[in-house]
Amino acid sequence: MPNSIISIRHLAKRFGNFEAVKDLSLEVQQGDVYGFLGPNGAGKSTTMRCMLSLIKPDQGDIHLFGKDIRKERSAILARVGCLIEKPDFYKFLSAYRNLDLFANISGKPSTKKEIYEMLEFVGLQGREKDQVGGFSHGMRQRLGIAQTLLHNPDLIVLDEPTTGLDPQGIIDMRNLILRLKTEQHKTIVFSSHNLAEVEILCNRMVIIHQGKNIVEGCVQELLNEQEQVIRVQTDESYLAPAFALVQAFQKASQFKKLGLDGFEVSMAKSDIPAFNQALVTAGIPVYSVETKRKLEDYFINLLQA
Amino acid sequence: MIFLRSTRNELIKIALKPRSYLGLAAITGLVGIILFALKADGMSMISFVTSSFEQTLRFEGNLLNGNLVAFIVLQMLIVHIPLLVALVTGDLISGEAAMGTLRLLVSKPISRTQLLLSKFLAGGIYTLLIVLWLGFLAVIVGQWLFGIGDLMVLNSDGLVILQANDVNWRYAGGFCVAFLALLTVSSLSITLSCFSDNSIGPIVSTMAIILLFTIIGTLDVPIFDPIRPYLFTTHMASWRSFFEDPLPWESIQKSIYILLGHNLLLIGISLFTFHRKDITV
Repeated sequence: MPNSIISIRHLAKRFGNFEAVKDLSLEVQQGDVYGFLGPNGAGKSTTMRCMLSLIKPDQGDIHLFGKDIRKERSAILARVGCLIEKPDFYKFLSAYRNLDLFANISGKPSTKKEIYEMLEFVGLQGREKDQVGGFSHGMRQRLGIAQTLLHNPDLIVLDEPTTGLDPQGIIDMRNLILRLKTEQHKTIVFSSHNLAEVEILCNRMVIIHQGKNIVEGCVQELLNEQEQVIRVQTDESYLAPAFALVQAFQKASQFKKLGLDGFEVSMAKSDIPAFNQALVTAGIPVYSVETKRKLEDYFINLLQA
Repeated sequence: MIFLRSTRNELIKIALKPRSYLGLAAITGLVGIILFALKADGMSMISFVTSSFEQTLRFEGNLLNGNLVAFIVLQMLIVHIPLLVALVTGDLISGEAAMGTLRLLVSKPISRTQLLLSKFLAGGIYTLLIVLWLGFLAVIVGQWLFGIGDLMVLNSDGLVILQANDVNWRYAGGFCVAFLALLTVSSLSITLSCFSDNSIGPIVSTMAIILLFTIIGTLDVPIFDPIRPYLFTTHMASWRSFFEDPLPWESIQKSIYILLGHNLLLIGISLFTFHRKDITV
């Protein structure tokens, strides 16, 4: 496939008696923001580490940029930037020195100016000469991103990049990923426990459970296969007519009261405007209609199945 | 090029790590104490050694000179230097694993072979610096403080007296062999470092192996006779051979080959292990 950036076929890895990854296959195309979803111990990090040749697979093939990672490791990794798990650095060295050391072995050494610009890009200007030992987790995460991007990689691999960040840090990280996607057209692979994050940022995803690929595909397409759950807020006195309307509206189901003045109901995405119209026509005041987190339900349903 | 840049990286890390200066500071302190003690009361120690020969020999001139002082310093310290070397080199791989930086290093386009060899080279350069510093303090400072004179050495064959102008090249040769012995310690600790994900394990293991081999080497038990000549600890004191007369070249060459062989073997084991290592931390 000409635009395939990552192609993994029948990957398997065992640690002693524990089968971390079992016959896992996936495909990432150029320009994708690709999400790895799965509970703890599902095999997400092991798969990412295999992609980066940190771990040697027992079986299977991994091709990045159309090349076999086992045969052309250096050429491939020169085009990859990664941040795996915690952003660990040499605590006794400054932020600048840390970036300089990693840039030296990244295939493309960076100039002092480039390093300073990158530190500014991630919001660490003024802290260049400070020892990393004194940095907060959020600052180290920013430094980790700087290290990932410094050599201008074509593929960015981020393993749980928002873990441990404060709300503002999470927003900044999301915005950064969106910027890299829209402005620089990077291919980004990231794993996350945050389902909303994957839903917002990713165009494609894989759900991994017990080392296996349960489902892979376009996020929106996968979600559209599901019925949507919508939450409607109205007045308490209108809940009974709303329930009657749901029963009459044949495409809606699973009416459930929410508090004193709201209800939840399931229907196909395409039926939501008509249902809203029906509520208004029946004289039921609609203060808000919102879609419940779809991926959350999808994920839980899949794992339960 | 990437190998040289990686070696430069390793040297920068060693240079900026406070632990690296512990060895240099310890050597400075220990040599300082020995020099002070010899300056204050060295003659009584010399008299104790020479008294047993006074019935047959008459000693004239400055016996407590820089050459003898340097020899005493080396004799005392060369046993303890391995710990100071292992303190830094035993941390080169396992320390990266403990810090979490190993996964970053290994995910870079540098090959594992180049990465590991750059660590061996940096460890070797650090060991050389330790040996040079010890040489500077023992020989240069010793000669400056105590003056130059003939060197009197007591070895297993008896008393050897070497003329002052015949000593410096012997020190140079002795330090080269001592460096090779310490390089073996450095290689051993880096090899052990490949098996561990914490900093302390390889350092303690290195010292434990040195201690074990030294005990095997000194135990007068026939069962150990076949292996004793091949233990690297047997050859760690080979630098002393340079102060014998005539020079036992054959024995020195054998020590050099065995120490070089150990280094090559340890590098081979490290490469094999590091290539197969899954970076899970």
